[in-house]
Amino acid sequence: MLLLGAAPRSIAQDIDPGRFDVRSAEATLENGVYYLNAWLELRLPPEAREALHSGVPLTIRLDVELVHDRRWWVDADVAELTWRYELDYHALTERYVVTNLNTRDRRSFSTLFAALNELGRIERLALIDAVLLQPNRRYNVRLRVVLDMERLPGPLSLLAFWRRDFSIASEWYQWRLDES
Amino acid sequence: MALGRKLKRAVYTLLLAFGLLLWLAALLLFSRVAEDSDDFARLQVWILIVNSIGVAVLVTLIGVHLTRLLRELRRHVPGSRLKLRMITLLVSLAVTPLVIVYLFSVAFINRGIDNWFDVDVQRGLEDALTLSQIALDVEKRNRLEELERLAARLDGVSPASAAAELAAFRRDSGADALALFGANGRPVAASAEPGTGAAPLSEEAMLQLAEGDAYVSLEPLTGGAFQIIAAVNVAGAPGEARILEARFPVESEVSGLANSVQQTADQYSRLDYLRGGLKASFTLTLSLVLLISVLASVYGAFASARRLVRPIQQLMQGTRAVARGDFDTRLPVPARDEIGFLINSFNDMTQRLAEAREQARSSEQKVEGERRRLEVILSSLSTGVVALEPDMRIRTANAAAGMILNIDLEAHVGESLVDLAESRPLLAQFLTVAAGKLAEGKSEWREQIVLRGDVGRRVLMCSCTSLPGEDDSPNGYVVVFDDITTLLQAQRDAAWGEVARRLAHEIKNPLTPIQLSAERLRRRYLTAEDANLDLLDRATSTIIQQVEEMKQMVNAFSQYARTPNIELSRFDLNDLISEVTELYRSPENPVTIKLSFDANLPQIEADAGRMRQVFHNLMRNALEAMERQADARVDISTRYVRRGDTEAVEIKVADNGPGFSEDIIHQAFDPYVTGKVKGTGLGLAIVKKLVEEHGGQIGAANREHRGAEISILLPITSEASGPAGLHGGENRRERA
Repeated sequence: MLLLGAAPRSIAQDIDPGRFDVRSAEATLENGVYYLNAWLELRLPPEAREALHSGVPLTIRLDVELVHDRRWWVDADVAELTWRYELDYHALTERYVVTNLNTRDRRSFSTLFAALNELGRIERLALIDAVLLQPNRRYNVRLRVVLDMERLPGPLSLLAFWRRDFSIASEWYQWRLDES
Repeated sequence: MALGRKLKRAVYTLLLAFGLLLWLAALLLFSRVAEDSDDFARLQVWILIVNSIGVAVLVTLIGVHLTRLLRELRRHVPGSRLKLRMITLLVSLAVTPLVIVYLFSVAFINRGIDNWFDVDVQRGLEDALTLSQIALDVEKRNRLEELERLAARLDGVSPASAAAELAAFRRDSGADALALFGANGRPVAASAEPGTGAAPLSEEAMLQLAEGDAYVSLEPLTGGAFQIIAAVNVAGAPGEARILEARFPVESEVSGLANSVQQTADQYSRLDYLRGGLKASFTLTLSLVLLISVLASVYGAFASARRLVRPIQQLMQGTRAVARGDFDTRLPVPARDEIGFLINSFNDMTQRLAEAREQARSSEQKVEGERRRLEVILSSLSTGVVALEPDMRIRTANAAAGMILNIDLEAHVGESLVDLAESRPLLAQFLTVAAGKLAEGKSEWREQIVLRGDVGRRVLMCSCTSLPGEDDSPNGYVVVFDDITTLLQAQRDAAWGEVARRLAHEIKNPLTPIQLSAERLRRRYLTAEDANLDLLDRATSTIIQQVEEMKQMVNAFSQYARTPNIELSRFDLNDLISEVTELYRSPENPVTIKLSFDANLPQIEADAGRMRQVFHNLMRNALEAMERQADARVDISTRYVRRGDTEAVEIKVADNGPGFSEDIIHQAFDPYVTGKVKGTGLGLAIVKKLVEEHGGQIGAANREHRGAEISILLPITSEASGPAGLHGGENRRERA
């Protein structure tokens, strides 16, 4: 109750409630390796945007699961992959910096839209070596994108625990892994 | 029990430890929030859950205790009010400072956090940021202008000389990299520091250039450095070249300062943003700590109040038990404190009380035993004993007293003797004498009392003693009396028996020689012829006749005195009476004999000869009484009666003679008591003796109009004539 009262509301006028969605995704086989290509729609909720502009770095997590689809049994996880990206606002240069936390690769954008757009375009992410998969089996790939609350700084994380604003995630997007 | 208590204690200890852990966890949470650590983010949910469980456990425990307390209050359980008061006191003592500290801390923390974010600091930081931006903007513009000048110089230059131009410019300007791109985005010419390649331009830069504008931006690099990226369109570039891009480093001193400003501003703005959350976290933490502390102290209040009140409750219960008379209550001693001392004293007290009661009980039992023994002795006495209250109410009486006075006195204990005597003539006579003596003020006396009852009279030897009271007045009386009727009778009988024996002996001896002498005289002198023969004849006849009479008399005496064995047989009493009376029906005996027999009379067990003598004597007695009486008449009746367990025959022999004179009627059965001219005076005495030998009773009375009536009660079987016969205990003494 105390927390609700203390929640920031300054940019709450913004109508966009934020949305994470996987628009499309596919896996392509190149030289014996499956690569992931996906198009994500990432719109931050107002509270997240306010936090970003107040210097709070946001973590966006990409969860990918490769599942063995068993007809008479529970599906078995074959591989779980996670990519983390950090979105930060640089007040001095007034630029949005996207850092791939897996590769430490940095890129900056002059607008939040451009940064999110760039983040939403997943190209050629190495998924799995085809050797690791058994030919006669059916495999499904599942993908979702999450605003990672665990990476929020302490008190904000507590706030997020009580308020649903930060807990934003896309639905799981699932498709068959073709051997083509 | 002990195991259960141990287990309980272990559980409580565990709970306490758990509670302490919760407390520590809350404190940890508090410190983590203050440090703004990442661990907190991971742990906070768990800490919250654990604390919530702690709160729930405490609330449940308190709820249970509260319900119990309310129930005790409603039932008015002793000590519950004291407990309530103690809990209220303890809770208010513990909670008040906690709440004060809590409110103060919350206010202090909120104000403290607000103070960190001073407006001036914020503005200063913003200004510093703006200043840095302006400084960097100037740098950016200069670099862009330099690049535009280079682009102008490249107009119409061949790619080879363009590369040289680029290298020269890079040397002069200190740029990191320079590149000339074609329309397809491929580099036409480039010059770069060793190790750095010409990176392709971003989309936004390309868009801006496509619109004909120049592009410049400040790019943050890792490690706090900055890079200025500038790009311009080149109009008359060699070949396909369209775009000139350059990357300039920002002077390290400037970039270091700018970075520092940027980081500080960033941090500040982040903190400012998190201020609400920070305050909320602190408040939440504090609230949680407060909640747990309050609940723990409330629970502690309940527990300690219970611990304090329990011995008092036990003491109260113990006191109540003692008040009810249960002295076996022993309370457990809780500790070596004042209450423990009190409980020890209580236990001592109850123990002493129990001992005292035990002593009282044993002495009471002893007294009761004595009393019972006395009762047994009294009940086995043949002497009647009656204890009376001063107002003549019966305190105790033994069975013999009841038997003598013909009333069950034991059943009337507590009732007044005066009231009881109203319908009981024997008791009334007894009371008249006793009350008379007591009225005279004599409390100690001894007297022989003669009671006149239905069947004969009773002679009592009675003595009275007053019971000692608290003062001089007597606390009641004890009257002891013996039925000495039979004793007196036996004494009299024995005396007469002795007289008869001696008479028989002493008289009989001289009689025979007298008789013989007289007969000899007759024989000798009656044959001789003498003038006085007639005289001699008369004289000797008289002597012989009188001696014969005397002999008969002596025989009768000896018959009275001797006691041959009884020969029992079963016979019909009615037949026997008929037989006897038939002998008296003769012409010279003008007497009417009327027999009215009970047809259902059972055979009796008795000595037939003696019975025959009884009726001979009675008949003779009646006839002698009615000698020379014209309308002489004898009525004999038999009747079957039942006296308690004893079956008996009641025989009445009545005549219409003169009856007994009043002065002899009570001694009618004594030897030599006779109202007749004739007779030995032994007839009725022998009858009585025979009847009593059979365990029967005999009584004499005058008929209502005229004549005498002898009534006999004879038991049907010989057993009934034994000790418990019609005479009850009286006979025993007689036979012994």
